[in-house]
Amino acid sequence: MPDLNSVGMREVVVVAAVRTPLAKANGAFDRLSAVELGALAMRELMARSPISRDDVDSVIVGNVIQPADAANIARVIALNAGVPRAVPAHTVHRNCASGMQAVTDAAQMVMAGRAEVVIAGGVESMTHAPLLLHDEVRAAMYRLSRARSVKDRLRVLGALAKARWKPRVALMEGLTDPTVRLNMGQTAEILAREFSITRREQDDFALRSHQQAEAAWQAGFYDDEVMHVFAPPSFAAVHRDEGIRSGQSMEALGKLKPVFDKPLGTVTAGNSSQITDGAAMLLISHREKAEAEGWPILGYVYDWAYSGCDPARMGLGPVYASHRLLQRAGLAMTDITRMEINEAFAAQVLACLKAMESDAFAREHLGLEQAPGAPDMDRLNVHGGAVALGHPVGMTGARLIMTLLRQLQHDTGGGMGVATLCIGGGQGGAVLLGSEPWKS
Amino acid sequence: MEVVTLLREEHTARLRFAREDKPVNVLDEACMAQLEAHLEALEAAPPRCLVLESGMPGCFIAGADIDRIAAVQDATEATRLAERGQALCRRLEALPAVSIAVVRGACMGGGMELALACDHILAVDERATKLALPEIQLGIHPGFGGCVRLPKRVGWIRAVEMILSGKPVDARRARRIGLAALSSAPEQTEQGIQYLAGKGKAHRGRPGPWWLALSPAKALFFRQVEKKALARFRHLDIEAAYPAIPATIALLKEMIGLSDGIAYAREAASLGRLAVTPCCKNLIRVFHLGNALKKQEAVRRGREAVSRFRQTSVYGAGVMGSGIAWVAAKTTDVDLHDVAAESLARGMKSLGALARRDARRLQRIRPVLDHSGLAQSDVVIEAVLEDIDIKRALWQEVEARVSAQCLLLSNTSSLSVTAMQEGAAHPERIAGMHFFNPAPKMPLVEVVAGEKTAPEAVDQTAALAAAWGKYPLVVKDKPGFLVNRCLMPFMVAALQLIEQGQKPEHVDGALKHFGMPMGAMELADRVGLDICLHVGTHLADAFGARFSMPAWLAQMVKDGLLGAKSGSGFFIYRGGKQQQLNSKLGQYLKLSSADRESDADISTHPDGAWPDQDIVDYCLLPMLVEALACLHESIVQDARHLDAAFIYGVGFPPFRGGLLREFAHRPRDALRQHIERLGLTPPANLEVLDDFA
Repeated sequence: MPDLNSVGMREVVVVAAVRTPLAKANGAFDRLSAVELGALAMRELMARSPISRDDVDSVIVGNVIQPADAANIARVIALNAGVPRAVPAHTVHRNCASGMQAVTDAAQMVMAGRAEVVIAGGVESMTHAPLLLHDEVRAAMYRLSRARSVKDRLRVLGALAKARWKPRVALMEGLTDPTVRLNMGQTAEILAREFSITRREQDDFALRSHQQAEAAWQAGFYDDEVMHVFAPPSFAAVHRDEGIRSGQSMEALGKLKPVFDKPLGTVTAGNSSQITDGAAMLLISHREKAEAEGWPILGYVYDWAYSGCDPARMGLGPVYASHRLLQRAGLAMTDITRMEINEAFAAQVLACLKAMESDAFAREHLGLEQAPGAPDMDRLNVHGGAVALGHPVGMTGARLIMTLLRQLQHDTGGGMGVATLCIGGGQGGAVLLGSEPWKS
Repeated sequence: MEVVTLLREEHTARLRFAREDKPVNVLDEACMAQLEAHLEALEAAPPRCLVLESGMPGCFIAGADIDRIAAVQDATEATRLAERGQALCRRLEALPAVSIAVVRGACMGGGMELALACDHILAVDERATKLALPEIQLGIHPGFGGCVRLPKRVGWIRAVEMILSGKPVDARRARRIGLAALSSAPEQTEQGIQYLAGKGKAHRGRPGPWWLALSPAKALFFRQVEKKALARFRHLDIEAAYPAIPATIALLKEMIGLSDGIAYAREAASLGRLAVTPCCKNLIRVFHLGNALKKQEAVRRGREAVSRFRQTSVYGAGVMGSGIAWVAAKTTDVDLHDVAAESLARGMKSLGALARRDARRLQRIRPVLDHSGLAQSDVVIEAVLEDIDIKRALWQEVEARVSAQCLLLSNTSSLSVTAMQEGAAHPERIAGMHFFNPAPKMPLVEVVAGEKTAPEAVDQTAALAAAWGKYPLVVKDKPGFLVNRCLMPFMVAALQLIEQGQKPEHVDGALKHFGMPMGAMELADRVGLDICLHVGTHLADAFGARFSMPAWLAQMVKDGLLGAKSGSGFFIYRGGKQQQLNSKLGQYLKLSSADRESDADISTHPDGAWPDQDIVDYCLLPMLVEALACLHESIVQDARHLDAAFIYGVGFPPFRGGLLREFAHRPRDALRQHIERLGLTPPANLEVLDDFA
């Protein structure tokens, strides 16, 4: 869309994309590590795409809960998946946007002519978020290794016995903002209160997510996007996303108790994204290369924007990021055919929509006279979102880009889309995508 | 020719093993004699430090001269051989010099015993470095003092395990268990020698653990050892079949607490007794048979091309297909294709059990539901339904997607490779690669060239099999190839026996007692009665009625009694384990006696039951006749390959040396008459057996 050729930059294309199904934490993938999940998806991507593995110039993987036994997980995944040793790999971390960051970094490399073909994606095994020891245990263990005399040892052992042995849960700590000391769910509660979003509105939105995801699977939309995983120990094929509840109802949702603000809050497990495991991988190149090699083009990555906001209201990140993105491209919300706003929380998506429509918010926070406007509901998260599918934090950004491109290619016959998500710590990320299916 | 060189530097002397007449160092007559001469010189003028090293790549010393052992006819002669080796090792040990064995590459048997006689072992950490006492696999035990010296390094428990299993350890493990004093990178060898020389001579006390000196503990421990070692041979008369196993256990048990001098004498005497057993001679013969297949010319020619193979695609995730995927994952990434997710899941789950020992290998296998990944494949192996149209259609699908050099192999057991080449764009790269069930375990692979198969494709297939640890046997493209064609008359004979009133469990028992890994009925059940019927019918069409399966078997198949996979055939199967005889069998044929609850694993001798030997002859003679017919028709080129094929393909008992070897001891006339009595035509080339006695 933006005229890149005029500034000598290359048009970034996505040649192939595939993801694993999303499995509930401690569910179908509880025996698969993040490395294994990533390698499964990366190997599948290379097998499905027409490129040879020797064509790959670089590998970038986003991951949030980085396993202690796989430093620079991107490299470990690449080697396990059969990417040649000469190909470098690095890991990126922008919290919930890590997978998106991997793709936009790859796009930046390709755009600037620093690489021809890059594998980019995201991976997360929330199942395997570690349990940690308190720092006083670490300190005592160290002193024990230094203690020489029996008396010293006994003293340190005494200290060790008194130390707190109950583990810290890394998953919970990772989902808590250390600067404002709020859990992500609590930031959603703030938005629900400030934008007057009722429990019923949130549950309605959650139900819609399940129904649309269910319908998309029924219609076969996800058949090609999602690979089959044969997960140990049973090795039964997993294809469908595990979190979708076919029979989800308002009654069932209504019975759930608030999790983050008991008892008066409105955010429940049912209207929040699910804790899940999964991996998504994309093959990024540029138009000239793809056309010269005869590779298919799934779509284009035109531009992207990241922006910061109040950490206590991190859920509004998409409003800022997508505004910046559209402004850069000179586009209005009405130009956008499809939009994906990640459903971290139903309340948070609904708050974003209200903020986008609010003139007051636009004046105060975006420096606009008039609200930029929100996408119509029939253009938003059409095939369900994280409430139904799940939100493996480091992976979701890559998934949003992949699923949006497939929508633009298969559902709408082209057009432009924006994939955007909120980022813990008070940021937003947004990517402008397009597809020209008549060309490929 | 000099095979051991003594090099002297200032304070250090080096015994360097290197030879040009053989690919590896061997402690043969020449080597022993030269070593003895050098020892004399060293005793006269001892250096401060003595280093034993090899000048051959990938090999320290591969062992004693096994052909010498094979040739020994007399127990005292064998004992003397052992005593000579023991004396040599003791002189080496007694030298005032600090002796260091620099082990780089294979260090086996006698070579390992020589290394054990040194004060220190320096194991050079590279892939080829393997230390083992594999004598048990040849029907003997270490005879140069290894049974005495190994426990002093690694303790009795590990030593008993190593001697009874013959399994190798690598350099790092050797260091960990105390077998090697040090393991070093190849570049650090000289520093390693210096370091160990500085440690001085080693003084080793009694080997642990201390509680083995208590006789109840010792009895208990060795009872467990015995149980574990003999578990595989439940049906055999172990003293007759593998005498080395009980003899080695008895020897080791006796040695605990014995003084070294007496222990050496016992070891030598025991070795003398074992070296003249037929089992030892046969196992050495089988070792050579296997090596001949692994190192054949075709393998040499194809090796280079195959070493560049990175990806294998296997079609069909059934028992064979998934087994082949596991085998191929030894050296390449594998895409395992199937049209049904359920069969892929079943296949992967069956591999999951194998993966407990090798998790990385399972990760190299990607289950696939479409045709993706073919463009990157170097070889495609199909193990889909045995239907020529399905296979031809598959090759067309595959040919459209693979690279020009990709090898296309069929695991067919009964179809013609030549027929499969019809309609292919590049028939020259299509060949047969026939595995045996279960593929991860059975070492034989039949390599089949169709009419249009290029010689390079045959070479590469053979080399691929060898790279995957299999024994390739190149056979002609005739129905049933070699092994299945010879196995069918064996099965038909067994079915005739039970038609004539022999009890199935008795027939199976007799065969297992003979040493077959399973009886004919169980084998039929495991293979699948439908498959047996299919192969039998197919072969009968091609070669005549001697392959025809009885009508009642067809009825069993029709009624869904397919064997282990359907839960019942001749026997009942639960969770893959064989249970009692199938009580429905009476509906299909007359069973001789009413008591059917007797254990399938025990051969019983009720009235009317034939002696075991008669049953075995009845089943095996038709197999022998067919094998000789195959030789006559040049299905295989070399008669010795017949013996190898049945040992590695169907588990013919190795201690018997092979099918032909087994019958070579019978007087020809009696054999001819016996064959005639069974209603078969004695083969014209029966004199082939003369070379096998």
